[in-house]
Amino acid sequence: MSKKYPLYKTTKSNEIYDRAVKVIPAGVYGHLGAAEGQFIPVQRWPRFSERAQGSYFWDVDGNRYIDYMCAYGPNVLGYNDPDVDAAAMEQMKKGNCTTSPGSIMVDCAELLVDTVASADWAFFCKNGNDATSGAILTARAATHRKKLIFFNGFYHGVAPMVQKIDYPGVTPEDVANNLYVNWDDIEGFKRVVEENEGEIAALIAQPYDHGNFYDNKFPKEGFWPAIRKICTEHGILIIVDDVRAGFRLDLAGSDHYFGFEADLICFCKALANGWNMSAFCGKEELKAAAASLSYTGSYWMSSIPFAACIACINKLKKLDAPKLFHDLGTELTEGLKKAAATDGFDLRTTGAPALFYLRIANDDSMMLHQEWIAECVNRGAFFASHHNHFINASLTHEDIAQTIEIAEDAFHTVRKNHPELG
Amino acid sequence: MQNLMDTKTLAYLNMYAVLGTLENLCELVPEAADLVRDAKPISIGFDVKNGPSATLFFKNGRCRMEQGCGACDVKLPFSSCEKFNGLIDGTVTPIPSKGFTHIGFLLKKFTPLTDVLGKYLRASEEDLKDPEFLATSTKLMVNVIGVAIAQVANNDEIGKFSADHIPDGSVRLGIHGGPSVELAVKNHRILCYKRPPEKFRASMMFESLETARALFDGKLNALEGVGTGKVEMTGMCNMLDNINRILDRVSLYLA
Repeated sequence: MSKKYPLYKTTKSNEIYDRAVKVIPAGVYGHLGAAEGQFIPVQRWPRFSERAQGSYFWDVDGNRYIDYMCAYGPNVLGYNDPDVDAAAMEQMKKGNCTTSPGSIMVDCAELLVDTVASADWAFFCKNGNDATSGAILTARAATHRKKLIFFNGFYHGVAPMVQKIDYPGVTPEDVANNLYVNWDDIEGFKRVVEENEGEIAALIAQPYDHGNFYDNKFPKEGFWPAIRKICTEHGILIIVDDVRAGFRLDLAGSDHYFGFEADLICFCKALANGWNMSAFCGKEELKAAAASLSYTGSYWMSSIPFAACIACINKLKKLDAPKLFHDLGTELTEGLKKAAATDGFDLRTTGAPALFYLRIANDDSMMLHQEWIAECVNRGAFFASHHNHFINASLTHEDIAQTIEIAEDAFHTVRKNHPELG
Repeated sequence: MQNLMDTKTLAYLNMYAVLGTLENLCELVPEAADLVRDAKPISIGFDVKNGPSATLFFKNGRCRMEQGCGACDVKLPFSSCEKFNGLIDGTVTPIPSKGFTHIGFLLKKFTPLTDVLGKYLRASEEDLKDPEFLATSTKLMVNVIGVAIAQVANNDEIGKFSADHIPDGSVRLGIHGGPSVELAVKNHRILCYKRPPEKFRASMMFESLETARALFDGKLNALEGVGTGKVEMTGMCNMLDNINRILDRVSLYLA
């Protein structure tokens, strides 16, 4: 441990967690909690934040973190981006959750349709799960078919129909219409399609395989065009779940990035820089099916997020954000790999640099990796143990340099703790 | 989640996780060892049609289980998994097809032995106030649960779905300063060894006997336990995620 980066204490976080666990299931449930978030060991991680700005958040103990999880994606321009927040505040003065929706909803839909290559319309909701569920309902309504194809390792939200048979609260009937194929397996995909001819409504997939416990994988050459061809021939719709990667690879959508066209595409995280909204967009011929859905929510047409979304997308365009994310992500991951090599660690960085995934490959248990991640977090570089990360536009070269210094310090410590590595 | 249990899976669980724990009971509980210490060496086979088949060997106050019942002194045939499960819950009285002269061992030794096992596995709140009893009971539960995880992973349809997502390698499951078992995964089937593994890819350890007990009794949720630090997970969390899902099924079978 260097004097420059002393280990953080998280006393107040833990005290609040002790209160939380008495009144909230698991204290903090879901992906922001210790179990799903894989805080290993739990004592080294902050539980609650006090404030955030740009690329940083401060926990309740006053520790500052350079944040590479970006609230698991929504922080795309930097926390409290002045342009987005000014637009949101301006709209707040006019109205937010109103009986007739604000006309700004139409402005927002027009901007999305102009921005996303495969979009002829936009349907707004709140969370990524709302968007993926809405797209599935639209596909079923349009095709009058019930089955769905998923690529193994998938995550498409929390609705029972996209969970798995062994998940708590899910029944076999909830997932009875789900078919599973391995990523990049065109022949396997074709076989499943032929075995279920006329029954499959849609394939729902992320644009590339960003599973959580293995190196992230881009599609092999020709994969998406081949899948597009099979689906078109068999009347199967393609739903691209761009909740995670959307606007970080390509402002026209990740299907555009990979050279094919989705029938339906889902967005959430990068839409409005943390203001709560999601959307699914689709082709003209599916608009009537989307209109037919019994699908709505109390806050789905609130105006503030639409104002934030418009400001966010316009700023992402102005910054040429995908290129910026790629360049910053590359600078960071190259620096991390170099730091790892100095101490004899084989750090693999996979996926798009904008959404980089990290894994130390020196052991097959990931325990060295978990130790290193905890050492980084505890010194102020917030990485996740086993999830892709997110770059935001406010990240500076100085932030990256400091992160690499912290990572070096963490590598030295792990090395020192493991003399058996030689 | 599924309300209905599979009777065949329950039979495998009853055979290897419940009856198989007689091995450990005789090691850990003098009262149990004393029951069978002076008896002549004897073996009891359990032969379940369309289900598991295993033999318990008793010798010098010790017990061990082997698969199959080709060479046993007393053979207890069961026409179905339901009938065998009835033996465990006390609703079926078995009739030996071989070894009638050993009926005295069955009645005077084996049945009391299973009563002792029941006392430790379905422990009363009163008994658990005794720290020594709590320790022994919880050690036995670790073995029962380890073997039960393997049986549910290998036989139950939903358990098999979870096991299909577990990569090869060993998992340590146990209590800090207490017993541990090895769950060895190969080709999505699990084998439980009633001892800690030398090497493991993932580990789930409970901080104390009390924490393990609370989890086994459904009073503590594993996710909450991870948050409070009472349950420590390290290594390949995807292995542990799926084992936790199987563990959820185990609690249904053992309820």
